[in-house]
Amino acid sequence: MTDIAVSEKELEGILRDLAGRVMEAMESWHDVVFIGIRSGGFLLAGNVVRRIQEKIGKAVPLGALDIALYRDDVHRRPFSLEVRSTDIPFSVNDKKVILVDDVISTGRSVRAAIDHIVDLGRPKRIYLMVLFDRGGRELPIQADFVGKHVDLPDEKVIKLEAGPDNVSIKDVVVSEVKK
Amino acid sequence: MNWPHKDLIAIQNLTADEIGHVLDMASSFKEISKRDIKKVPTLRGKTVVLLFYEPSTRTRLSFEIAAKRLSADTVALSASGSSFSKGETIMDAAYNVMAMAPDCIVIRYPSAGIPAKMAELLSCSVINGGDGFHEHPTQALLDMYSLKEHFGRIEGLTVAIVGDIMHSRVARSNVYGLVKMGARVVLVAPKTLLPPGVELWGASVTNELDPVIPEADAVMMLRVQNERLNERFFSGAREYSIFYGLNRKRVEMMKDGAVIMHPGPMNRGVEITHDAADSARSIILDQVENGVAVRMTLLYLSMGGTANVD
Repeated sequence: MTDIAVSEKELEGILRDLAGRVMEAMESWHDVVFIGIRSGGFLLAGNVVRRIQEKIGKAVPLGALDIALYRDDVHRRPFSLEVRSTDIPFSVNDKKVILVDDVISTGRSVRAAIDHIVDLGRPKRIYLMVLFDRGGRELPIQADFVGKHVDLPDEKVIKLEAGPDNVSIKDVVVSEVKK
Repeated sequence: MNWPHKDLIAIQNLTADEIGHVLDMASSFKEISKRDIKKVPTLRGKTVVLLFYEPSTRTRLSFEIAAKRLSADTVALSASGSSFSKGETIMDAAYNVMAMAPDCIVIRYPSAGIPAKMAELLSCSVINGGDGFHEHPTQALLDMYSLKEHFGRIEGLTVAIVGDIMHSRVARSNVYGLVKMGARVVLVAPKTLLPPGVELWGASVTNELDPVIPEADAVMMLRVQNERLNERFFSGAREYSIFYGLNRKRVEMMKDGAVIMHPGPMNRGVEITHDAADSARSIILDQVENGVAVRMTLLYLSMGGTANVD
């Protein structure tokens, strides 16, 4: 069973709000970069960056992070795991990194992402942006920019689906965990 | 799909799909070697033992670097300088190594079948680093990766493999793999260096190099093993080089975009001249570079994650 978590209109409002709050928090843009966790976080980051670029009229660097090799459950996962490329076409040294993921729950993905980023260099600061915070933290990690807090039973997952252009977000889908 | 193999013994055991996944994943692993910090924590706490009963520079170094970039601990042993040279059998040696709880053993051995036997008897992963005249699967995978990287595909390519086919595990693994992936393979060698049954491998076979050169997308030269020079498979290095060596004249006959490959170590002046080895067509050093990424992929698949296809 699947259902849509937020309407298209509500999603647009959340994206604009996330972009707005980042623009408020950043004093200047020369050292700000976005890094999205593949694949949902990268998709979200692209959509937020596009809205910010339209407002500020300049390009904001965007990279993609694959955290498969940094997970703490490589040897335990009962289901398959895909390794994709990390593609960060800029240095993270002394940058303000806005790390983006679609959903935060246990915080373990974010832990893996932070470990990965510090292997690439020494950022000045790492912020965390998520579309949905569903609670259930197992590590002391909190997001700086949250689109929406949601309360979902454990057996449900939320997933962003890309549109046919692979850039826009087509749907936010809630479905049962694959058994 | 899950990666169903504990071990990697032979290309013959892999499906075209599985080979395709290794090649796809290897690109992700290649990127790691381009970072400032060339290391990920994935195989932290895993131990990889490299048992090399035959000399090796590239393969051993490549496996060791691959394992270390994934944070595994590595121990390398060669036959000389260890008690293997005191007459201990290979299986006793393997059980003794196993008693120290490694997670993976990479083995190179002068006779065929030893890695398969070890894989059957030991609980850890076993990766074949070359066994006798049987197979050298990681070399074939890195060769296929290099071809795919260069041409964007393997299917439909014509690959000439030239030289001592009989004694070459590299040739066997490459033929099995390339044919599975839809390439056309032409084996070129004097009759004395073709093994019986070669016509069953799925490649075409010829004794003449010159007609093959202009139609090949890749010319893969095999090393003339010096020790064979005295075994009367051909009358001498000079004659061999005239009939089967890759020289400037033959490089000029190659078609546009075609590449030169060699698994190393090269015997310059025998199977390949300086002109050919150092020409712009050569992707020999790309092969070496890609070897690390492909071996990282295989260590990861054997000991940790699984390949995923949605």
